Amino acid sequence: MKHLRPVNRKAQRIEASITAAQASSDQPSTEEDIVALQQAPRPHVPMGCTLSFSPGWEVDAGGGTAGLCQPVERDIYDCYVTCFWPVQVPDHVNYSPDWASNCAVATKDWRNLDLVFP
Amino acid sequence: MNKLRMGFAALLTALGGVGAAQAATIYLGGYPNQLVLFDEGTGTVKQKVTLATGLPVSMQLSNDRKKLYVTTITTSGIEVLDLATKKVINSFSLNTPTTKYRFNGGVVDPAGRYFYTIGMRIDKEVDRYKISKPHYIVVDLQQKKIVRTADLAPEDDTFSYRAGFMLSEDGKTLYVFRDKILVMNTADLKVSERLDLAKPDLSGMENVSFGGGVENIRSTREYVSLFNATDPYIHNKVFGIARLDLGTRQFNFTPIGPAPDSMAGLEVTPDGKEGYTVVTTHKLGNKRCEFWRLDLGTNKVLATQEFPCRSRFQFGMSGDGNKLYIYGASYNIEVYDAKTLKLEKDWDLGNDATMAGMVIAQ
Repeated sequence: MKHLRPVNRKAQRIEASITAAQASSDQPSTEEDIVALQQAPRPHVPMGCTLSFSPGWEVDAGGGTAGLCQPVERDIYDCYVTCFWPVQVPDHVNYSPDWASNCAVATKDWRNLDLVFP
Repeated sequence: MNKLRMGFAALLTALGGVGAAQAATIYLGGYPNQLVLFDEGTGTVKQKVTLATGLPVSMQLSNDRKKLYVTTITTSGIEVLDLATKKVINSFSLNTPTTKYRFNGGVVDPAGRYFYTIGMRIDKEVDRYKISKPHYIVVDLQQKKIVRTADLAPEDDTFSYRAGFMLSEDGKTLYVFRDKILVMNTADLKVSERLDLAKPDLSGMENVSFGGGVENIRSTREYVSLFNATDPYIHNKVFGIARLDLGTRQFNFTPIGPAPDSMAGLEVTPDGKEGYTVVTTHKLGNKRCEFWRLDLGTNKVLATQEFPCRSRFQFGMSGDGNKLYIYGASYNIEVYDAKTLKLEKDWDLGNDATMAGMVIAQ
């Protein structure tokens, strides 16, 4: 992990605990262990909202709008359930399971979606 | 070509007992926590069932077609619907205040007692969440809890928790479909055999990958699916039909033709004579979708028809084989005539459908 350095106290404690654990065991060093997501072997990426870095849903993967969901409002739900866009919509599985409980159809009822302040 | 025709003839023989289905009920997962029961005959929603455990993400019909097993993501739940009474007869969540699970789909044993899947466990600790790697999970549907777990073997650790599952008729063998087929003993959750389809024992093909099963011809004895393969010399892709005998573990492939960019499943008419698929070429703004109607007796494409497709959709067929459905990631079902491949009408579900797919039963 030489490309990253801890900048807050929690991260510093994590690094210290990893270093201590490695010193007291036969675990291999974490140096040089960074692999790109598209490379093999693929890293273990646990499901979690903070691991997704997609920029936004106003444009599709090609920079246009033709690849967006149709109707476009439906993207709200598939991002909500799967944490695909963690900043723009609440997190269904961790802190906002009831966010869509008043909205059966995102295209028609999106005004019923609530504001969430995590 | 004669070999191909023989292959399809064998497929037709296998389909002989399917029988014609009548207009039936479509079961769809709906936001926020609904199971939508839609009448094919009248084109109306006839009932909605609220699921106590949350949003449905997968559905599976029991072998006797009397029960529907639904998994939900909101609270990692399993719900069992009795199709005769349309009532939920079993419902529970695997989550606790400090432990959550993630799984998507699975398979229930023939006795309806145990549910097999692959999932992850998330433990909330004092200062962090501890997230496990995907592992095998066995849920006892009577005790309503996880009764066994087992780690994936290191060589299978490339799996995510999303996989296809089938069980043998006796419930003793579990098949897991991913980049290879794992044949497992349900007694100890150990892999007894790996069918590596990168180099199948079949000349002219490699890197074979199974697709989703064909629901209309689902059988307890074999798994029928579309497949993709490449030839080992110039690496052209072909597609066709693959069949795995769940008793003997023998599989065979019947190639049909060059593989397009992507195909949305295979739907087969109840008499087994015709098949339909959606072929997609290009991407984003240049995306084009076509229905392909296949004669499974002569191995010929009878007709193609371009249609305006959505960015994301799922493909289905009516119980009688006369209509084709485009649905998913929306609140409607587009209904196409299976013979003319033309749009006929649009059904409003009243709920956004989840990507749990569609189950058609009486």
